[in-house]
Amino acid sequence: MRVVDPGRVQSAINVTPLVDVVLVLLIIFMVIAPQLANGPDVDVPDAERPPSRAADAHRIVVALEHGGAVWIDDRAVAPDAVADGVREAVGAHDGATKVVIKADARLSFGEVRRAMLAIESGGAPDVGLVAERREPDAVGG
Amino acid sequence: MAMHVNGSEPGGFQSEINITPLVDVVLVLLIIFMVIVPLTLRGYDVSVPSEGPPRDATELELEQIVLAIDLDGCPVVEPPASPGLPDGCRVRLNDERLAVTELPGRVAGVFASRPETGRVLFLAVHDRVNYEAVLRVVDAARASVPGLRIGLATEREPVRASL
Repeated sequence: MRVVDPGRVQSAINVTPLVDVVLVLLIIFMVIAPQLANGPDVDVPDAERPPSRAADAHRIVVALEHGGAVWIDDRAVAPDAVADGVREAVGAHDGATKVVIKADARLSFGEVRRAMLAIESGGAPDVGLVAERREPDAVGG
Repeated sequence: MAMHVNGSEPGGFQSEINITPLVDVVLVLLIIFMVIVPLTLRGYDVSVPSEGPPRDATELELEQIVLAIDLDGCPVVEPPASPGLPDGCRVRLNDERLAVTELPGRVAGVFASRPETGRVLFLAVHDRVNYEAVLRVVDAARASVPGLRIGLATEREPVRASL
């Protein structure tokens, strides 16, 4: 059954270009959104087999930048106020809360350790250290 | 959209494959993976000692395994340039010096006879050692022992079993 004759004007709107544009916009915003949301852009360390984390019920991200700046989620805090900030963030949410540290790869372990101790005194005994997965380029390289 | 080339009649068969559904499916898959990839955080869980009594007394019944990384054995203060374990790094596993490349095998041997709940490796790391290097050593140690948990030793000597 042919509804539209070949020579006649087609009355339905062609939505294909519209859908294309909308999809591209969706993709662009999906790429941009996580980078806007998570505070500073931290160069986390590479490792070969970091285990992937299960989705935590509620996750607080403490970001340690190379210059010493500290962020709790998307809020900058003074380095000596990390414990209070974590306590506040943990208390704002009842239920299981997981704190993860996104620390810059150039930091020394001592700076990360001090942050871990501050987070512990803020009421979160277990912390996660975030790493990125990277395969070694070559054996022995 | 349909371009009628000379000779293709309206009622005739179209010889080109309709790829529109294929493109739709591929785009949806692309979107799904783009959403999932940034949401999966990878990393290591570390137990930080609290100032009270130990939370889990059963951990104290076994001798504790301490992985020590000091500046003399592992002078890595800058991020390693190449992927993989930091070069020239020697660590101590319960006072036994070993190259970091031997670590996975030795850790596996030490923890093999332990129950799953007793598999805790305590880290005692010099403050100036680079953080990325430490994580890679932890990564190597974890690789051979499933379910290995990482604990942090502080300036205090890690608590020894005194029962």
